[in-house]
Amino acid sequence: MRRLSLLAMSCCCLVFASACGGSSSGSTKTLVIAVNAPFSKTPYIGTTIANGAKLAIDELQGSGTLPIGDKSYRFRIRRYDTGGSPAAAVRNVRRAFSDGAVAIVDEGTGVDASWSIAADDDVPIGIVYQGGIDLVDPQERPNVFRIVPTDHGIAYRLAEYLLPKRLKIAILHDDSGYGEEGAKALAAAFSGADDAVTTRITLPSGATDLAPQLLAARRSGANAVIVWAQAPVIAKALIAARSAGWDVPFYTPPAGADPIVRQELADHPEWIDGLTFASGRMTAEEGTAPYYTFEGKYRQAFGLERVGVKTRTGNVVIQPPEHAMYAYDFVNVLAAAIQAAGDPTDRAKVLAQMEEVTVRGANGDERAFNEKNHEGVVDDDVYFARFHDMTFAPVEDDPLSSTLPTVSQIEPD
Amino acid sequence: MNAVAARTTGAFGAALTEARRAWRWPATLATAAFVVALFAPLVLSRIQTQELAAWLYLALAAIGLAFAVGLAGMPSLCEGAFMAVGAFTAAQLRSKAGADPVSATIAGAALATAAGALLGIAFVRLGRVLFAVATWLVAWLVALSLAAFPELSGGARGLPIRAGAFTETIHYELALVLVALAALVFFAIARGAPGLALAALRVRPPAARVLGVPATRLRLGAFVASAGIGGLAGALAVQLAGIADPAGYGPFLSFKLFAAVLLGGAATALGPLAGLAAISALFHIAHWIGNLENVSTTRFEPMIAAALLLFVLGIGGGGIVPWLRRFVPARTATIEASPAPPPRRFAGATFAAAGIRKSFGGLAALVDLSLTAEPGTIVALIGPNGSGKTTALRIFSGTLVSDGGRLTLDGAPLIADTTTERVRSGVARTLQRTAVFDELTALENVLVGAGLERGYGGAIRSALATPKERAETERLRGEALDILDLVGLRAAASTPAAHLSSSDQRLTMLAAALATRPRVLLLDEPAAGGSAEDVARLARLLDALRGDGLTIVLVEHNLRLVSAVAERVVVLDGGRTIADGPPAEVAREPTVRDAYLGTHRL
Repeated sequence: MRRLSLLAMSCCCLVFASACGGSSSGSTKTLVIAVNAPFSKTPYIGTTIANGAKLAIDELQGSGTLPIGDKSYRFRIRRYDTGGSPAAAVRNVRRAFSDGAVAIVDEGTGVDASWSIAADDDVPIGIVYQGGIDLVDPQERPNVFRIVPTDHGIAYRLAEYLLPKRLKIAILHDDSGYGEEGAKALAAAFSGADDAVTTRITLPSGATDLAPQLLAARRSGANAVIVWAQAPVIAKALIAARSAGWDVPFYTPPAGADPIVRQELADHPEWIDGLTFASGRMTAEEGTAPYYTFEGKYRQAFGLERVGVKTRTGNVVIQPPEHAMYAYDFVNVLAAAIQAAGDPTDRAKVLAQMEEVTVRGANGDERAFNEKNHEGVVDDDVYFARFHDMTFAPVEDDPLSSTLPTVSQIEPD
Repeated sequence: MNAVAARTTGAFGAALTEARRAWRWPATLATAAFVVALFAPLVLSRIQTQELAAWLYLALAAIGLAFAVGLAGMPSLCEGAFMAVGAFTAAQLRSKAGADPVSATIAGAALATAAGALLGIAFVRLGRVLFAVATWLVAWLVALSLAAFPELSGGARGLPIRAGAFTETIHYELALVLVALAALVFFAIARGAPGLALAALRVRPPAARVLGVPATRLRLGAFVASAGIGGLAGALAVQLAGIADPAGYGPFLSFKLFAAVLLGGAATALGPLAGLAAISALFHIAHWIGNLENVSTTRFEPMIAAALLLFVLGIGGGGIVPWLRRFVPARTATIEASPAPPPRRFAGATFAAAGIRKSFGGLAALVDLSLTAEPGTIVALIGPNGSGKTTALRIFSGTLVSDGGRLTLDGAPLIADTTTERVRSGVARTLQRTAVFDELTALENVLVGAGLERGYGGAIRSALATPKERAETERLRGEALDILDLVGLRAAASTPAAHLSSSDQRLTMLAAALATRPRVLLLDEPAAGGSAEDVARLARLLDALRGDGLTIVLVEHNLRLVSAVAERVVVLDGGRTIADGPPAEVAREPTVRDAYLGTHRL
């Protein structure tokens, strides 16, 4: 009987000890920053976002801790895989709260539902990939911020760039949230130019062959195609068009620069030549130095991001850490807000400070929000780049893009 | 008023006594587990409570599916679709119409029930394979519709739902209570009259039908219940999740639930819970291993579920709970002596067939068959194989429609056109082949036949075990034991029918037919395969039944039995009547000797 009591007491002590552990050790408290992204569905995007966030906290705390007020804290990145599912994304946000997350760095999926859950606890959500028009609304969703070009900005820049060319454009989008939001933005951007748009077609994400849809686009009389879709769908659309001998220019949102597009087309590198994508500019007005500094730090921390293809001369192609930049910037804004609030546990204060602080972003641009604007990237700060020989360079026929330098994408010897 | 109170108190007392008598340690264990689970949110975190509640809603849907799969034996592969109907109805009402959680839930469950009723009317008559295919197509159709109509489903972004008054703890407690209730109702129905009838239908549909089991109505009821419970689970689960995500309601959800139900044991109340727990545990282990290797295992989930399903089918389809039951010592069922019922009298009726005709294509199976059987007599129909005897019995029992002719019972035309209605009119039949319900005991086999007599044996009364239902069950049980006594099988009342000898199985069939309180009994080769002793026992039984006033039409090849018991013999050959009269007279007919008897003697 005595032995049984001892055993029971030991078990209770163990349970108590384990319950008390986890988030704090000694005087240092761990703050979790959750990265909620489709790691399994589009690993490149998920990993890049997580790496950007990790780079920011590693810089902030080095190998030690970050003093805030009279205490010291240690940030930790925790990954949550959405698999591209809104329900999983919402579930992840709940799990993240359970794990004590102070902020969510989010790809954007499921934010329509997760923002209100996070708002109850004054937890900020930073969207760093999706640009859906109504994802961010400072009045309705005061805890949602975004540092990435909006779909609205990209779509209007595409219209501004393409309409003067007098092209007949087929607009294709996939049935993912990314594609549907893009289609909405394009519809608004091209609303006054009905004669320029020959057709609008939805591409099924799960289809293995998009030949029927591309044939319909071709029959519509189009001589250019905009594909607003996830990277694998863009690759399939290109394959369907090129294999049918339809050699028209393709325009895409930032997903066109995803390594998977080039990986899918590795057997036909010539098919990707001429693919033009719109994206947020990587280098700032003040010059390329801040971006290259960031790129250097990123590569030092995580190594080179190899695309998995080579140029015609056999050089290994590497990917610039573009999406990492936005996650990096959001974490820096968050850290500045926490510092300004003086107490990370006072979440309402931290949230309020998110609208007050300003930080210098990875590319040298200033990143800040205010009570009326939770967008961290200027809407028209979008450039165009075109692929040639598996690497891309800013286009020459756009005033903004033509001023930008080409970021090297060849693995150094 | 006092009388009502006294009756109610008495009924409660009787119910308590009965429950105490039936109480066993698994019930104690289940009750203890339920009570402990009720208090779980006190020690669980919010997210754990939330995830457990989500799992319980899925378990609720699995139990709902077990009503169709386990009780009715219908392989429904669209439970996920019913969850989707409930979920998106509730989500639309909550997000677009601003409905409160309760109204949205009721509407979701109601729409799923209505969808289940519509589909059920179309599908329940299908065979199992076609039923599975049809419901699988429904699962796909709903998933494709959700994708095709983003304005209804929210498209790839889903339909967000603002948090309502239900916290995760309320959801958890509600889900737990609903799961317990659903399991109890399943248990009560499975043990009650509808469960017996459905078990009979599941095991041997033709044999159940000839006992008057209303197959379509019962199957439809089970399918609609599964749809309603699925819709309820979906409507609540989506509000707990906070978002209706069309991708979460694909055909895999239906498949996963189906696999869980079969894995756990479809015909048991706790089977779906056990199956779902096993599948969820496997998914978790896979995710854990995947996380170690930095690989997402989500895409392997259907493969794991399919492998488990194949495993269960490979080991005979029993499932976890039935397998575990083997380790629980079975309590010997004692058949207590019931108060001696009054001697049973079968009020026979004059059964007459006049000018019955039936052709199959160009083949005339019956040509102008006429016969009359009076109460307290046995008329035998004999003839070579293919002469039309069984066709005649099938027409008499309502399983086959004649091309012409007239059937009357005590002079009144028999216009009932379904087997159930024919049995209700007083015409019961046994099948040619041995067709007992293997899973049921001899007593339960007989009780299946007594189902038509029930006035208080519906699903709701059975689930609530009302005093009238229990009193009726007790009465019918006594009568069934009396019938088993009559056929000499009282000692085998609690023996599973599968363990009876073939001659006892035939007697069990006969007892089940007698339990329908027939006025006319149609027997199709009851002595087939029996020993001389079995035939003698059967002859004594038929003699006794005749003595009780029953009208019997006997199709039999055993001429010794025919000559021993029949007053009249009608001989068929090629669908035509070649002789009709007392056995001795018929035996002398040269045409009969040529066509059938040969060297045999009647």
